[in-house]
Amino acid sequence: MQPQQRKVSLSSGELTYFVAGEGRPILYLHPAGGVRWTRVLEGLAKSFALHVPVIPGFDGTSAHGAVKSMRGLAGLVGEFIGKVAGGPCDVIGCSFGGYLAAWLTAEHPDRVDHLVLECPAGFRPKGKGKRPADAEALRKLLFLHPEKLPPDSKPVEQEVANRKMLPRYGYTPDTDEELLKRLPSIDKLTLILHGTADRMFPKESVQLLKSRLPRSYLVYIWDAAHAIEVDQPERMLLLVESFLQRSEGFMVNWGTLAVNPG
Amino acid sequence: MKFSFFHLMPYTHLELESHDWPFPNRYFDPEKASALYRTYVESMIHAEACGCDWVGCNAQHFSPYGMMANCNLIGGALVYPTKRVKIAMIGNLVPLNNPIRVAEEYAMLDCMSGGRLVAGLMRGIPHEYLAYNIPPGESWERQREAVQLILKCWTEPEPFGWEGKHFQYRQVSIWPKPMQKPHPPLVISASNADSAKFAAEMRATMGMVLLADLPSGKECIRIYKETAKANGWEPTPENVLVGMHTCIAETDEEARRHLEQGLKYFDQVLMGGLQASQRIVLQKTRYFENEESRDRWKSRLDKRRTLTLDEAIDRGTVLCGSPETVVAQIRRIHGELGHGVFNFTVKVGTLPDEVIRRGMELFRDRVHPHVRDL
Repeated sequence: MQPQQRKVSLSSGELTYFVAGEGRPILYLHPAGGVRWTRVLEGLAKSFALHVPVIPGFDGTSAHGAVKSMRGLAGLVGEFIGKVAGGPCDVIGCSFGGYLAAWLTAEHPDRVDHLVLECPAGFRPKGKGKRPADAEALRKLLFLHPEKLPPDSKPVEQEVANRKMLPRYGYTPDTDEELLKRLPSIDKLTLILHGTADRMFPKESVQLLKSRLPRSYLVYIWDAAHAIEVDQPERMLLLVESFLQRSEGFMVNWGTLAVNPG
Repeated sequence: MKFSFFHLMPYTHLELESHDWPFPNRYFDPEKASALYRTYVESMIHAEACGCDWVGCNAQHFSPYGMMANCNLIGGALVYPTKRVKIAMIGNLVPLNNPIRVAEEYAMLDCMSGGRLVAGLMRGIPHEYLAYNIPPGESWERQREAVQLILKCWTEPEPFGWEGKHFQYRQVSIWPKPMQKPHPPLVISASNADSAKFAAEMRATMGMVLLADLPSGKECIRIYKETAKANGWEPTPENVLVGMHTCIAETDEEARRHLEQGLKYFDQVLMGGLQASQRIVLQKTRYFENEESRDRWKSRLDKRRTLTLDEAIDRGTVLCGSPETVVAQIRRIHGELGHGVFNFTVKVGTLPDEVIRRGMELFRDRVHPHVRDL
């Protein structure tokens, strides 16, 4: 299913986004490398109307002059949801996008239904985790199975340019103390995902997050590094779809004889 | 040097004849087994008073080779009558079982014993895969994944889920958790290069419960230490466990006579069915990741069958003799391998239990004082 590129006019400027599939709207917030159309996104678009906004300044788009913080970005995404999805929707955020999704939920809880935080940034204990020295080191931290990368992946230069946008928004991979304080007030049902081989954000990051988010579930994905969607797309898709469709019922093994398996 | 009293708990009331696998259980007499269990558990408890630091046992299936389908049950029987010894489960066959159950039962044993558990996380020898209908070709994948999952069960501060290839659990939060922090010490089998590497990667004690020969033991220890270093840690001598058949008696002649008799039953009866099943597994599956490991395993089996007791003693793969002879044997093997845990497999076939009991008293009085400071 090919995603369609669209644009929407928001109060701070024009926002590019992709949309694919039909059904209940869900929002996907991309990682620091920009939008990568993975098998997980392809799979989600088979069951949902998947919306993927391009954060201003990423993937060759223009930054919005007035948006210069994570809180500002959260406001922009909240406005996008209201305008495009028409009401609260499920939100998935990956790494930088997970950090943004947490800010969005803290700032605009009325815009979010289920929340999925995939190896989110913003909660790394100081001094923990690896900081890549160059592009090759970054690649090794991201992927345990780089051979699974989609063949039409974007040029490395574009990913590097995307990452240069991070300071503009006050992004931190380490613990954002202000956000951390707000987590206990978030009452959204949340699924936290972490790759067992993620060395960029160690398990202590998601353990901290899990301990502060009252209605959260933490699941480790075996044999995945930071880019879970690339390393283990089938496992992640199965889990996320089950969570979005069944809420707490995702914990149940429905088997084939369940009264109401759907 | 630490010493471990290790029991296989064989069934010893069979005629001297070999059987194919699976060994027909029409020969099993529960009355006799009941008496054997009591004797075996009592001899393990007695080992604490004889200077042993660990008492250990393992799991076996579908065979008189060992009557412990679940060694944790024996661990439970040892916990309260003992006070000091480590309860060494060497161990649960991780790829064949539910890893959550292994984590739970080990945590129970650790709490019940006041933090004395040594947790063996074993891959299992080939025939066990027939018994539990698990593809032998998946053994390494299952072992690697299950060990990580068990560690998560013990160390995660919050409930968690696991989405793996062989194991999936949406939410896990075991009660109890182990007493030892961050978790009980691990023993992982390390009788070939692949397993020695894995044990080092997991920061586990490497276990060679039945040493094949000194050169191959040395090589496994070298690989283990090298891998540990590459993984940022330095094993101590106590991270190397070396085991062998052991018989101590008043004289060399008496010890040899008893061990020869026990080995006859061990080789002809207890090993018979296992060897047949192992041949099937090794020929038809990818239990070993490479041909070198498979060939080494096969040659170990062949070597074991053809060695005389004298040859085995000379090669340093059996401890047998008077207390003075065994002191010299322990010193020689320790000099070669530099290990810190010696694992005595004491019940070799039909070796009489009263001989074992007396042997352990000789160990306490005339062996241990000379080797404990190695």
